[in-house]
Amino acid sequence: MTEMLKVTVDRRPPLAVIYTEGYINNQGGEEIARVAYDLIEGDHTTLLLNLKGTKIVNSIGISILIEIIEKMLEIDGRLAFCNLTPTIEKTFHIMGLAQYAQIFADEEVAVGELTV
Amino acid sequence: MNQATASLEPRLSWEDVLDAASRREGERSFLSRLVLYICQQHGLQAAALYSKVEGGYDRLVSAGSEAFPTSLGADEELEYGSVLLPEGLLLYKAGNTGRSDLEGPLILALSSALRAAVLQGRLKQQSFAINYRGVELEALYDVGLAIASMLNLDQLGEEILLRAVSLLDARRGALYLRAGDRYVLDHTFGGDARQELPYEDPQIAALLDGKLPADQDLLAGARHLMGLPIGADGRPQGLLIVADKESRHGVGPFPMADRRSLSLFANQAAIALETAYLHQQALEKERLERELDLAADIQRRLLPTVFPRMDGFEVTGWSRPARHVGGDYYDFLRVRDGRVAAVLADVSGKGLPAALMVSTVHSALRLLIDQADVGPELIRRLNHHIAESSAPNKFITLLVAELDPHRAEMRFVNAGHNPALLVGPDGEVKELESGGLPLGLFDSSTYRMGRLDLGEGDLVCIYSDGITESASRLDEEFGVGRLVDLLRTTRDKPLSEIVSAVDAAVTGFEDGLNQGDDQTLVLIRRTA
Repeated sequence: MTEMLKVTVDRRPPLAVIYTEGYINNQGGEEIARVAYDLIEGDHTTLLLNLKGTKIVNSIGISILIEIIEKMLEIDGRLAFCNLTPTIEKTFHIMGLAQYAQIFADEEVAVGELTV
Repeated sequence: MNQATASLEPRLSWEDVLDAASRREGERSFLSRLVLYICQQHGLQAAALYSKVEGGYDRLVSAGSEAFPTSLGADEELEYGSVLLPEGLLLYKAGNTGRSDLEGPLILALSSALRAAVLQGRLKQQSFAINYRGVELEALYDVGLAIASMLNLDQLGEEILLRAVSLLDARRGALYLRAGDRYVLDHTFGGDARQELPYEDPQIAALLDGKLPADQDLLAGARHLMGLPIGADGRPQGLLIVADKESRHGVGPFPMADRRSLSLFANQAAIALETAYLHQQALEKERLERELDLAADIQRRLLPTVFPRMDGFEVTGWSRPARHVGGDYYDFLRVRDGRVAAVLADVSGKGLPAALMVSTVHSALRLLIDQADVGPELIRRLNHHIAESSAPNKFITLLVAELDPHRAEMRFVNAGHNPALLVGPDGEVKELESGGLPLGLFDSSTYRMGRLDLGEGDLVCIYSDGITESASRLDEEFGVGRLVDLLRTTRDKPLSEIVSAVDAAVTGFEDGLNQGDDQTLVLIRRTA
């Protein structure tokens, strides 16, 4: 049995909050991408990834998150993250994700900023 | 508009295509518009652009409703029209009025755009790899500093494992810590792992040697394992195992470079684990000290804080444990008709186990003394209780003396304790022996009682062997002789001064050495 990522969504058009629980690796990243692209198809132009349930992410997961960011840029949308562990936040900064996606301390602050 | 052309909407102008190239939407959007524009200009039903990859082609973008395959083999036979490009391939399905062969400036533009996209992709990959190297270095740095300050062994174990799994793109992992001749599972990630592994085992040796062990159940379901010992100064503290290196196409073995990274990581982890382990030990010691302080406080409350006053006698007692808590005990109990029982007990051994037995004696004696006079029957019952409730190798020596103010008489039973000393007003000393075996040795022990008429000025000293067996720096015992001499010279002084004199003499004799055993003294003097 491997550590499968669980993804749930709270739709608040045009915003959607994606909650993750588990490892953002190849499988986990693909699952997030599938959900994100479905939301984009459903005219959600702002996505917030709440990583409260995620302690670990690897390079494959990061590359998929970058692809989602690129996709959001193509449609003039926004992708943001919240509730990152210090390790994941540091990783996102080093990998450059923070240049194109905002990082918030928690969901309340993020939703407040993204829905202005 | 037929169905095929309907899926080729929106209608694009060349300016629309150029607009996509100039905006920040990215090369994929530009290529997508360019392929759609080519379809519209050449009257095609559908087209798909593929980029060259190892062994074939991967689809990048498509236009039209045709379900083109996502990837193609290098020599795959195609049912579509195709244009081979330096960096890829364009597949197309010609329309009714369209041309079946494609060429011209648009194809040239597509080829150039694809080449630019491929080069940009390579640059992104290289940039990603460089950035991720930064993440690896940061992780090593963190393990050296941040994790080293994490003193909770359980949290540290999880952090080390998660970092190793993440750093090496592993899908699974397990951390084992050494416990004697085996490794015990501390944390696992991504699936089940064996709870214990033998320390000396060919499978483990093979794994640590960089070979795949034959035992695939090490981490259930894992196919590619890599493991390294975690150890400081050549002492293995644990085992770090990661499994199944991830890529976008699945899982595979770990390259040699990963082994070096894991080795660096394991070295840092070893130092962090050692620090946390020492901290945990210090905390445990501190907790034990607190518990011992509490036990010492409880034990102090067992000893009398005031000494009974009675006609014709004066009594006092003193005790100093060798450790926080001790195995010596003394008490004065009021019994019937104004009589007082003085008791001194010495439990075999020292420290907490002895202190627990002291509590047992204290409780049992207080209960039994209300049911029986001081004498052989009382001690027989006490022995029965102690023999039933104590460990087989534990015993207690005890001397109990009952003082009767009306008859100037002392009745006593000695259960294996040192003989009490009687010091007369003239300085003559006599040992009082009477009794039986120590308590707790045999359930069937019997006891004899001694009787003694005390005259004015007679001094009785009951003591524990911690006094007479205290040792000097020359490894000489204090001995009964020094105690007798001391009692002779101080016999007329107040009892508290005699106690102080014994305390000072023994402490001086030990000359700063650690006290070897608990020291206890009970003094009884006939005053009239």
